[in-house]
Amino acid sequence: MSEPEAQSVLPNEAPLPPRVDLVTAAVFFAVGIAIVYASWRMPTFYEQLQQTYTAPGLVPALYGIVIVLLAIWLAARAIGSGALRRGDERMRAPREGYSNLRLALATALCLAFAVGMVGRLTFWLATAIFVFLFILLFEWRKDQPWRERAIRIASAALIGGGTGAAVVLVFTRLFLVRLP
Amino acid sequence: MLEGLSQFGSAFAGFMTPGTLFNVLWATFLGIVIGALPGLTATMGVALMTTLTFTMGRDQAILVLVCVYVGAIYGGSRSAILLNIPGTPASACSTLDGFPLARQGLAGRAMGISTSGSWLGTLFGIVCVALFTPLLAEAALSFQSYEFFWIGVFGIVIAGTLAGGDPLKGYIAGFLGLWIATIGQEPHYNYHRFTYGWADLSGGIGLLPALVGVFGVAEVLTAMRGPAYRVTSKAVDSILPRLADVWKYKRTIFRSGAIGTFIGVLPGLGEDTAAWSSYAAARRASQEKEKFGKGSVEGLMAAETGESACVPGAIIPVLTLAVPGSAPAAALMAAIMIHDFKPGPMLMIETPQLFYQIVAMLVIADMAKLVFGLTLVRPLLWILLVPRERLMPIIFVLCTVGAFAITQRVFDIYVMLFFGLVGFVMRELKFPMAPLILGLVLGELLEQNLTRGLVISSGSVAPFFTRPVSGVLAAITIFAILWSIPPAQRKIKAGVRGLFGRGRRPA
Repeated sequence: MSEPEAQSVLPNEAPLPPRVDLVTAAVFFAVGIAIVYASWRMPTFYEQLQQTYTAPGLVPALYGIVIVLLAIWLAARAIGSGALRRGDERMRAPREGYSNLRLALATALCLAFAVGMVGRLTFWLATAIFVFLFILLFEWRKDQPWRERAIRIASAALIGGGTGAAVVLVFTRLFLVRLP
Repeated sequence: MLEGLSQFGSAFAGFMTPGTLFNVLWATFLGIVIGALPGLTATMGVALMTTLTFTMGRDQAILVLVCVYVGAIYGGSRSAILLNIPGTPASACSTLDGFPLARQGLAGRAMGISTSGSWLGTLFGIVCVALFTPLLAEAALSFQSYEFFWIGVFGIVIAGTLAGGDPLKGYIAGFLGLWIATIGQEPHYNYHRFTYGWADLSGGIGLLPALVGVFGVAEVLTAMRGPAYRVTSKAVDSILPRLADVWKYKRTIFRSGAIGTFIGVLPGLGEDTAAWSSYAAARRASQEKEKFGKGSVEGLMAAETGESACVPGAIIPVLTLAVPGSAPAAALMAAIMIHDFKPGPMLMIETPQLFYQIVAMLVIADMAKLVFGLTLVRPLLWILLVPRERLMPIIFVLCTVGAFAITQRVFDIYVMLFFGLVGFVMRELKFPMAPLILGLVLGELLEQNLTRGLVISSGSVAPFFTRPVSGVLAAITIFAILWSIPPAQRKIKAGVRGLFGRGRRPA
């Protein structure tokens, strides 16, 4: 059995290829410049207190400048590690058991629930449909016999309906929380 | 002293009612389950429960959150031992020796070590909370804007430096968090910054939706992308902690308790750093170094004691400086503020009963954790058998309810989604998330104190460096930044070596 990797952000993880860091630095450089520009355009209200230390743009501009400097530091480090060297890009080996398809499906389902269903359908119904679809799609196997597939569909429907009912009962009756 | 003891006694007695004890039991159990399930973290648990308990009485709500926090940090060790996957990032260190012990057929003994280490660690931390919080709060009363400004910057820099991984990326995440905190109405002229006419943004970005996004939605996506986990050991030997283990490693327990509490006090670092630091210190001092990583009882004891001592430690700066010591403590601080308490130096003067109540809550939660640790083995194994395909959609629904519940704005669900997606991408790019959240928490404190300090000093930055406490904090901050630059670090090391080498040379 291949041992699954631990959660991310562990100190012993392998570093990213330098080119990824260079692109990241470019994004943060742009973000920092945009923050400084937007802060610069803010009014100073000098005429009200005769000083600029409380100007609305002062503090965000400071943060923007720091982000720009840190992005330059990150870019310089990435270039120093060979980000611009041709043919020296260390590609990361795909991690065993990780799937971008599963990630895309989970993201799409979560967005469909939170943006598409919540507020448009009754919450218990939205929850039931979301949980049912999530379980059904992730547990779907091409080579499944029909009997097993029917059981999985029934159990997904049961968990979906049960979750919808439980969420509404627990939160509105027990915790007295309003649902979207 | 006697007055303090009597206040603590009355706070403790106040919680000894059947209804409160029922809350303690379910909240600690829920915390352990949240901690044990990979993909659910203590931060997410506390953030979610903050939104779901805000209609409860404030003492009961904070008690529930403390129990969830204490339980979740302990629960993470169960999956670390049985699955080789940390239930929370804090338990990552426990996999190093916990899982090898389980593979040797000693899963029960490993859980017993985890229970005793965690219980004693939290107890050690509680004693430190009781002893040092009043002293620190008294010292903090003399702090002015300059000191509070440096506490904010120091928090971001230390969290970036020591949060694990790349300090530079930690700083970027921290300053990004500080900038996000400036979105919305600013404090002096009510000018709307970075809102671009979007009315929902004028109130700023809510901490809890952001926390639920970064630690909930991002975890759901990470769990669904990664490989499925499997329980490798279903046969469990006796889980009763052995007194011989505790006695033999008493020095390790004491050392790890002290390290864990100290790391907890430092802003934004949290339980994972505490566990790794305690583990490293135990390995350095151990006479059985070769056993570390292969099923060392001492290693597991150090990691568990350190991470659990960090929980009370992280609450100390919340109560005294309004600066969270860890990400779950940030959620706890938000809850304390939602319930109309004012964390910070004035808390010990305005509402001292909250301090005694929190000490009592920690003691009660620690006891409940011990009870569950000794009894809940089979039920937790069953819970760990629930496939992620069935668990994660339910977690996402809870995240959605949690983000919505406090302000009842659909906008907060979008904030949660945004932070979930951004948090996921940043984690993939190896950015630590604790500094981002700390930046979001400290943004207001930092801005208010920087501008106030500049106004008082008529624009002079000298008081930020010349006042004694400010000067020390500034020096530590600058040193921490220099230390994270490899050439500067090498020069500092060479300088120190030269200094001491010259000193030892015979004349």
